[in-house]
Amino acid sequence: MTRPSEKSFGIAAALVLAAPVVVGTGYATAAALGLAGAGATGQASLDRAVAVLTDPVVWGGTLWILWVAAASTVLSAAIAIAIAVTFRGAGRLDALGRTLAVLPLPVPHLVAAVGGLLVLGQSGLIARVAFHLGFIDGPAAMPALVYDPAGIGLVLALTWKEVPFLTLVAVSVLATRGDALERTARGLGAGRRDVFWRVTWPVLWRGLMPAAVAVFTFVAGSYEAAVILAPSDPLALPVLTWERFVDAGLGQRADAYVLALLGFGIALAAVAVHEWVRARIGLLDGGSA
Amino acid sequence: MSARVRSAPGVRPGAGSTFRWSVLVVLGVWALAPLVLLVVVSASGGWRFPSLLGADPGLGAWRAVGAASGSLWAALGTSTLVGVGTGVAAAALGLPLGRALSNLRGAWRIVGAGCAFMPVAAPPLALGVGLQYSFLRMDLGGGVAGVILAHLIPALGYTSLFFLGVFAVFDREIESEARRLGADAWQVLTRVTLPLLRRPLAEAFVLGFLVSWAQVPLTLLVGQGQVRTLTVQVLSWVQAGQDPLAAAGAVLLVVPPLLLMGGASLAFQRAQVVAP
Repeated sequence: MTRPSEKSFGIAAALVLAAPVVVGTGYATAAALGLAGAGATGQASLDRAVAVLTDPVVWGGTLWILWVAAASTVLSAAIAIAIAVTFRGAGRLDALGRTLAVLPLPVPHLVAAVGGLLVLGQSGLIARVAFHLGFIDGPAAMPALVYDPAGIGLVLALTWKEVPFLTLVAVSVLATRGDALERTARGLGAGRRDVFWRVTWPVLWRGLMPAAVAVFTFVAGSYEAAVILAPSDPLALPVLTWERFVDAGLGQRADAYVLALLGFGIALAAVAVHEWVRARIGLLDGGSA
Repeated sequence: MSARVRSAPGVRPGAGSTFRWSVLVVLGVWALAPLVLLVVVSASGGWRFPSLLGADPGLGAWRAVGAASGSLWAALGTSTLVGVGTGVAAAALGLPLGRALSNLRGAWRIVGAGCAFMPVAAPPLALGVGLQYSFLRMDLGGGVAGVILAHLIPALGYTSLFFLGVFAVFDREIESEARRLGADAWQVLTRVTLPLLRRPLAEAFVLGFLVSWAQVPLTLLVGQGQVRTLTVQVLSWVQAGQDPLAAAGAVLLVVPPLLLMGGASLAFQRAQVVAP
């Protein structure tokens, strides 16, 4: 049982941790309403927020970064599952496979983006190899894989960066929850395909879902990779937020607070989905037990 | 060796071996190619199309990069200072905060964990935009102390959640036993609790260091362009099209995290060997 003083300390700790986010969103809200910051009028008004949130440039950039986040999360999860299933044994080959897969884990996102630019850019490694093999006659002939409207370069760079984390989770899920269930299914006469689709796959996606939501949230709010690899049209939400915030025009700077709140809102929605998924997985696990 | 490999569902032993080796090769290229390319470009002496290795490849090019840019080494020093400062503070403060959160029960525990998750989930750019004014008002803009404090916000979220997990399984009976044997609170902390938590503390330091090491938007917004960490420097070189410098900086950004991860992994393996 928790003593009153322990409970007070716990609540105080929670408040300390949440305080910077509360202060940050509080100030951004006040600034978005025109009560604080650049261009403040002193009178609360939703005009600024409405103008920003109905701007097609904002929605274009928001939907674009959501697409990039969704595509890189799905691709990373698919690759992580394939690696976890292929290299799940105790042999050296499996250990080597897992080590290679998690190697980029501590690499900063900025480095992943620089690597992506050097590999995928129009004068990057792929273009140079294609030139030496006679497939293209110069950088201009190389299909655009960075700064491209589809975001292929950014999706690939972020996938490279996120596969290790999801592989780590997938391997751990299989090791802790998969083995016993698979053995039981095999003991009950299930074939290899049945074991995979009825046991391994459900265990993997349930275990991986919270981590995948976390990856989505992080990617959607990531600035440094987008500023290196994203196109200027549409302008990804994090880059748009930055550009408005450092704009010399005070009106533009005030827009950034609305965009920052939009970024917070996306993160909050993802956390809500995360919690819902976690609760649902708990229910499913409880039901299956 | 194949006899030692336990086959996975859907992978036939023997028949799957070629497939697994092929996947391993693809995986090796996928994981290593960008990192190897960074080293190649940093040592290229100018990486102009269509050359694969650059104009004047070799270690000489790396020395030239280092000599031409004192800012590279200065940025490395600043990043190390900020990263170590953040890592130490995140470990030292994350421990009591995580312990306090672990004392909560039921709905309060969920609220506490949710509060710790907030700075982790909040996009750093949005956080920086919202907090820049507060930092400037506290006279913390444009200085290393302010940047460490800004990095500490997400880092502390991570380490508090980490220690919340640690204390969920920590046996507090050992502390009670020490108190029953006459130890005061300070002695319990320094002679029982901290020695038992040496490894989690080291891991929390690594976690805090890595969060700070990779940070860009909070550094730019709170550092006001005056605190030039390695990430900030690399970003400006990329935007200026100085590929060899950017690649050299990126290589330097990769080395410490890999060493820390390798060191932590090695320490973990040794601990497993030593453990009864």
